[in-house]
Amino acid sequence: MAEVGARYRKKRLDRGIKARADTLFAIASYKEMLYLLLPRALPVIALLILPIILTGYWGKVLTYACMFGLLALSWDFLASCGLFSLGQALFFGLGAYVAGTLSYYLHWTPILTMPVAILGGGLLSALLLSPVLRLRGVYFAMVTLMLPLLFMKMIETTGLLGGTHGLSALAPFPNDWVARYLAVGAFIIVLFIFRRVISEDYGLVLKAIRDDDRAVMSAAINIYWRKTQALFVAGAVGAFAGAFMTHHYQFVGMTVFALDYSILPLAASALGGPGTFAGPALGSMILVPLSEALRALGGLRIALYCFILIVSVIALPEGVFHYIERKYHQFERLVRVG
Amino acid sequence: MSLLIYGTISSIVLALYAAGFSLTYGISGLANFAHGALYILSGFIAWSLLNQVELPYFLSAILSIVISGFIGFAIYWGLLLRVRGIPLAELVVTFAAGVAILELLMWKGFYGIQYSLPLFVEGGVEIGNVAVDYQRLFVIGTGVVLVVLLYLFVHHTKIGLAFRGMAQNERTALSVGIESDWVGSLSLALGSALAGVAAIVILPMGLMESAIGYEVLIYALAVAIVGGLESTPGIIVASFILGFGQVATAKFLSAKWMVIVPLVAIIFVLVVRPSGLFGKYKELEERI
Amino acid sequence: MKDKRFLILLVMVFGICAFTFLTPTSSISAEPIIVGVPTSIYTPFGRDGLKAVNMAVEEINAKGGVMVGSEKRQIKVVVTDTRDGEPTTPVHDALMAYEKLILEQKPHATVIAPFRSETIIASMDLVAKYKVPQLQTIAQTPQFQAKFRTDPEKYKYLFRVTTDAAIDAGYLSGALDALKADFGLNKVYYIPQDTLWALGFIGVLRKHCEKTGWQEIGYEPYAAGATDFSPGLTKAKEGKAQVIAMVWDVPLGAGIFSKQWAAMKVPALVVGFVPPMAAPDAWKTVGKDVDYSIQVEFPVGASVPLKKLPKTVEFLDRFQKKYGKVPEAAAVNSSAYDSVYILAAAIERAGGLDPDKLVKALEQTDYRGVSGRLRFNKDHIVVFNSNPEETGVCVVFQWQQGKRVPIFPAFLAEGKPALPPWMKK
Repeated sequence: MAEVGARYRKKRLDRGIKARADTLFAIASYKEMLYLLLPRALPVIALLILPIILTGYWGKVLTYACMFGLLALSWDFLASCGLFSLGQALFFGLGAYVAGTLSYYLHWTPILTMPVAILGGGLLSALLLSPVLRLRGVYFAMVTLMLPLLFMKMIETTGLLGGTHGLSALAPFPNDWVARYLAVGAFIIVLFIFRRVISEDYGLVLKAIRDDDRAVMSAAINIYWRKTQALFVAGAVGAFAGAFMTHHYQFVGMTVFALDYSILPLAASALGGPGTFAGPALGSMILVPLSEALRALGGLRIALYCFILIVSVIALPEGVFHYIERKYHQFERLVRVG
Repeated sequence: MSLLIYGTISSIVLALYAAGFSLTYGISGLANFAHGALYILSGFIAWSLLNQVELPYFLSAILSIVISGFIGFAIYWGLLLRVRGIPLAELVVTFAAGVAILELLMWKGFYGIQYSLPLFVEGGVEIGNVAVDYQRLFVIGTGVVLVVLLYLFVHHTKIGLAFRGMAQNERTALSVGIESDWVGSLSLALGSALAGVAAIVILPMGLMESAIGYEVLIYALAVAIVGGLESTPGIIVASFILGFGQVATAKFLSAKWMVIVPLVAIIFVLVVRPSGLFGKYKELEERI
Repeated sequence: MKDKRFLILLVMVFGICAFTFLTPTSSISAEPIIVGVPTSIYTPFGRDGLKAVNMAVEEINAKGGVMVGSEKRQIKVVVTDTRDGEPTTPVHDALMAYEKLILEQKPHATVIAPFRSETIIASMDLVAKYKVPQLQTIAQTPQFQAKFRTDPEKYKYLFRVTTDAAIDAGYLSGALDALKADFGLNKVYYIPQDTLWALGFIGVLRKHCEKTGWQEIGYEPYAAGATDFSPGLTKAKEGKAQVIAMVWDVPLGAGIFSKQWAAMKVPALVVGFVPPMAAPDAWKTVGKDVDYSIQVEFPVGASVPLKKLPKTVEFLDRFQKKYGKVPEAAAVNSSAYDSVYILAAAIERAGGLDPDKLVKALEQTDYRGVSGRLRFNKDHIVVFNSNPEETGVCVVFQWQQGKRVPIFPAFLAEGKPALPPWMKK
């Protein structure tokens, strides 16, 4: 093969305020403080203002996007622990049915059903998945893929909890504003809590379990207990999303266990960049409005989702967020060689 | 008596679904979760060749099998090549490709009562006092032949052994001269062609619809997992267990519980013994 | 290199976003009357229903449009695919599609409506919230009336222009009576789809058969996603059933059932609603074995032209001229066609598009359409009985030598029910 000489190379420089490590910064002016604060504050401010600006249909899309964002965050939390889940629909559906059942049969209001659904959903998911915690990678993923399908068929066959017709005319939130700000608020809070927790000691142990579980075991830490806790937390977050949607749409049916709810968090995380919670959040904020805008295309919409998922996994494994982060924190220049 | 016959037919249908999937996933270690989509795609290709290009049935069938093989080949080079070695990424990418194929089929208008492949031969025989039509006998014949051929191929031919070698340890296989990309794409092509064979033989017994793709994938997965991923006898035993399990559930419990059998089987086997009935127990790779 | 690839992707994604935002959606002008069609377009019922609606709208527009107050306005159809014909579509998704249609296109009324019973029931609250009159023409679930009665004032915007499971079963019971009277058949095996409407259908049929002395060989519901009916067919054969009562709407299972029944040579008549066996092409796709099976078409005019009801012949002729073939499914298409005319008539009566006035005008509907004379009762459903001059009607037909011959009720019959040769003792 002929030798092709490189004429240009890419030169990357960190910005001046970085002091040696990725997480330490030396700040000397307001401008630099703003440089660090803005990427964190801007999304929060935007998300808090958007419910006021977007009314009607797109306001509902925002809520939908926040719920899917929560599912994606919960997926990422599990992935940070080494548990690759293809069944976010399980958490979503469990939370939805707990809230729906309490609302339908006992006539409880959302204020009562939501906390019970969150805790109940988390507990149930942890219980259901703890027998399979010992399985590695693909096997665990397959169990999580099958469980929601199983639940869906069970409800269809036994006809319990509303069967194929579902439970309808459930109690709504007292006020549309309450609903929207609850969704946005929960999304922001969970995002920041997860980001903080993962860099604290607790989160570091979880990440260590993902990287090398035998090493963690040999440090006398019970990894199964930690994993169960991670399942509980992720399950609770997913259950919140499910319970919220139940009350928002005043309906719960067996399709809460549908594959759609498992694929979208996966696509959002793949697009946004797994590992950093901001990535899945960003991914869901892109994908959900995109898919709503593309409704006119009908069935092609799902094909497009899958296409984006495939392209993200193959060509862009690091995700959009990492790319943006890198561009933000570094100068890049093409420099002539020689 | 009828339970026996229809149970057997059910089981062989399951074995046909699983044959192609096992070849790629179990024997070669490549996840091809677009299997179900390829199954129904070859059915639609055969229908198009038969009704729109107006080729004779025999030719359309053969051509659709060959085309499926090529599509499988293309999937390897286009998709799997870049994510080889990361099992979860393979799973996700091929699954997404499968869903995309199914949705595109529906978008193109391939749904409706007119999408049906004709039977090979009309008529049937009576066994005992159970009527069995020729198509089902054909299914049994094809299934048996296919599984036997598969076993011989995987254990006694150079290429079959190359598949297995690649799944066991890729580095060693490379150092022995097995070029993993070429062998991998061949495996995927053969798996898809087998899906095409199964489709041609089974689809005339009903209507064609994209939703079948998801079903076939779940059944194939169930058979592969219950039987154990790398073993061919596993496919046979697992399909018989699941097939008779379904028919027995319908007879003794109630027909509506039939659809739950494969799902419960997968979960049960994964919890208790992930390597399946005939798989080699790989403790280190499965459990922590 | 990777950056460039990624940049292209990013530009593509944002380009798609920008494109869809900048493309003008249907502007909410005061001129045309906007009729929304939120349904599952990928099912035969949705697709053919939409074609029927488009045909009706074209006909009305060709005559100048609908008189609203003092001006004639044209009708414009806007469609959204709720995808609820596919079993795994989340109901929330379908409702979002419906809501998007209502909020963005601002229809003055919707017709056809979602396909699945689940989605229809859930959409009732949505319609009540946005006050957009809805004329359903697909879903057959009796739960609609039940829910309507819980709060008629809230749900007054909802109307059903088609039959429901109980009515369809009533017609079939009549046909079974004829079979019993003419041929002395009395052993029946039930295979319903495990969804509420089909179970309701077979339930009514079962009660009737018990009363009239039929012997029940078996009753076996199958899950909607079933693909193997051999256990049930075997039991029917062993129990020497003479009639298999089968109700199914998902094309997948119905197709497999038809072919399996033919393959297993079960010596029993198939009676009920199995769309692939009722379709005009059934002779070709299912095979000649479909001969002698008895299907109910609800309401009339959906797919079978009836000589005694010239309006059905007219409708199907025009449909064939425009689209090249008659509707595939022997159900609900004529209701879709009629619903547009009912809506137009109500708008003219109300003199405007105000929802409450429109609802009052709809309640006074008295229209002679393809499916009979259509009037709503106090539960906002069309009354179906046995006199096309008074109510809507359905028909039961039997395949005889490759033709669909109506056999019941008597005033619509063009032939007598016949027993297949392999059943004559």
